[in-house]
Amino acid sequence: MTQNNEILVIENVDFSYRERKTLSNISFSVRKGEICGLLGPNGSGKTTLLKCINRILNNETGSITIHGRNITALSREKIAKLIAVVPQELTIVFSFTVLQIVLMAGSMRFGISGVAKKKDHLSALEVLEELRIVHLAQRRYNELSGGEKQMALIARALFQKAEILLLDEPTSHLDFKHQHVIMELIKKITREKHLTTIMTLHDPNTAGRYCDRLIMLNNGRISHQGLRDKVFHVESLESVYDMRIKMGHTDTGAEYVLPAYEQ
Amino acid sequence: MRRNGAFIIIGVLLILSVILALTTGQYSIKLATIGKILSLKLTGHIPDDDLAIPAMVLWSVRLPRVLMAILAGAALSVGGVVFQGIMKNPLVSPSFLGVTHGAVFGASIAIIFFSKSALSIESAAFFWAIAAVVLVHVIGNRGINTMTTLVIAGVIVSTFFMAAGSALKYIADPYEQLPAIIFWTMGGLNNILWKNVIRALVIISIGIIGICIFRGKLNLMALGDEEALSMGVNVKLARILFMLFGTLIVAAGSSSCGIIMWVDLIVAHISRLIVGPDHGRLIPFAAMLGGVFLLLTDTIVRILPTGEIPISIVTSFIGAPLLGYLLMKQTRQWKD
Repeated sequence: MTQNNEILVIENVDFSYRERKTLSNISFSVRKGEICGLLGPNGSGKTTLLKCINRILNNETGSITIHGRNITALSREKIAKLIAVVPQELTIVFSFTVLQIVLMAGSMRFGISGVAKKKDHLSALEVLEELRIVHLAQRRYNELSGGEKQMALIARALFQKAEILLLDEPTSHLDFKHQHVIMELIKKITREKHLTTIMTLHDPNTAGRYCDRLIMLNNGRISHQGLRDKVFHVESLESVYDMRIKMGHTDTGAEYVLPAYEQ
Repeated sequence: MRRNGAFIIIGVLLILSVILALTTGQYSIKLATIGKILSLKLTGHIPDDDLAIPAMVLWSVRLPRVLMAILAGAALSVGGVVFQGIMKNPLVSPSFLGVTHGAVFGASIAIIFFSKSALSIESAAFFWAIAAVVLVHVIGNRGINTMTTLVIAGVIVSTFFMAAGSALKYIADPYEQLPAIIFWTMGGLNNILWKNVIRALVIISIGIIGICIFRGKLNLMALGDEEALSMGVNVKLARILFMLFGTLIVAAGSSSCGIIMWVDLIVAHISRLIVGPDHGRLIPFAAMLGGVFLLLTDTIVRILPTGEIPISIVTSFIGAPLLGYLLMKQTRQWKD
């Protein structure tokens, strides 16, 4: 473990799609057990950064280290043992069941064939039980609602047994209630299982409520970063979203932000 | 239980198909006679004079043909499953990656320029089928999302080999070589000998065992490259392995029997409907169903009152409408 319990350290990372610079000079670190939000407008580079962390994309310069080891030196299997991903949306062509989808995440533990044994089925069912979605086990993934799909993908990520969880817009397709349910679940599993969670978010209110640390991106650069209380304020949000923003408080004292609509 | 039931049913169907194929034909042989001949052969005895003709028909003609039908059917079907899995598309077949046109080109070269012997046709078809897929891979394996580029490369290579095949047909002797090429492209198991069976058995076994060893990874490949990468699969290596094994078995099946249309596509699709998309179960089931399908089709081809016809005519007549029906029935399940 590096200093200050840092599990993930990103230093001077650049990335371009062809000629278009998508990430410039990205540097930050995440400590073990934190929920870190990557916040920013569309096209700010959040998802690209997530893909660089998981080495789906290879950063051109700089380094990304996990437990002090550069991810370029790690095999795909080793990265998968460290990082589990919950994509924004999973489109599948074949009608796999939820249980089959969850089991796939354990493939690297099942030996060279990647075929699950009976005990693996039982432990996948335990994960589904834990998330209270065991009733979905034999349902086809394609036939689930948006919220159920997200739960299934979180179950899959848990079954992967990685210590870092990457989530790409986990609530983007969900209604108000399911946004709350999913975010509470992410918070609960992060704390209870001592995971480190990094997620991209569109909604500043979600980021402000659930994240311990915020990385605010704008045009591929970090505009503000730090612990939530330090950076979650009107000025930083206005600069990231390039618009006037109003902050208020609920009856319980929780902060919320809104665009400052003009009459 | 329902799915285990499917394996039991297909196993029973396979046994019944073998019995039907061995007993029926221009020269029918009773089941008891088959048992007698086989026990004599296996214990090293020579059958009596009254069994000489059925023994010759069974041992030299029918048994190798039956075994080859099972092998080729299994190979084509498993090839279909593998290519559909790695291409994430239930309507893909190995011919999308140039296997078929490569094999036709190779067979045409052998028929026109070489000895026209079964061995030279088989070897040339096998070599060029593999070469076509290697070419597709070299052209199309670019970037992370290579599915589209691979399919486009498949179209390019297939078109090239199709044009080259047409050019060969154009220069072929219209009395001997051209009919031989056309007949080969329509497929058939009428000239199968034990040596063909042995060669195909070795190559197809290697390919299917290779695929079975890594079959669990095919599930992840079927979710897409990014998903597979995120769950620890070395996608490029896995794709090369599956394409290699898939091409090997399809080329081995095609080179021995000519081009047999639809088996790969239709059996892979039906198998997925019956046992689901999990490749751990899908591959063995498709192998068995493919064996049954081709064996029954070949038996139909053999016993037609008009005399034997090329097998692809029958597989196409069965396959095309069946797939059309399934497509209409299942469209709602597939992603647009």
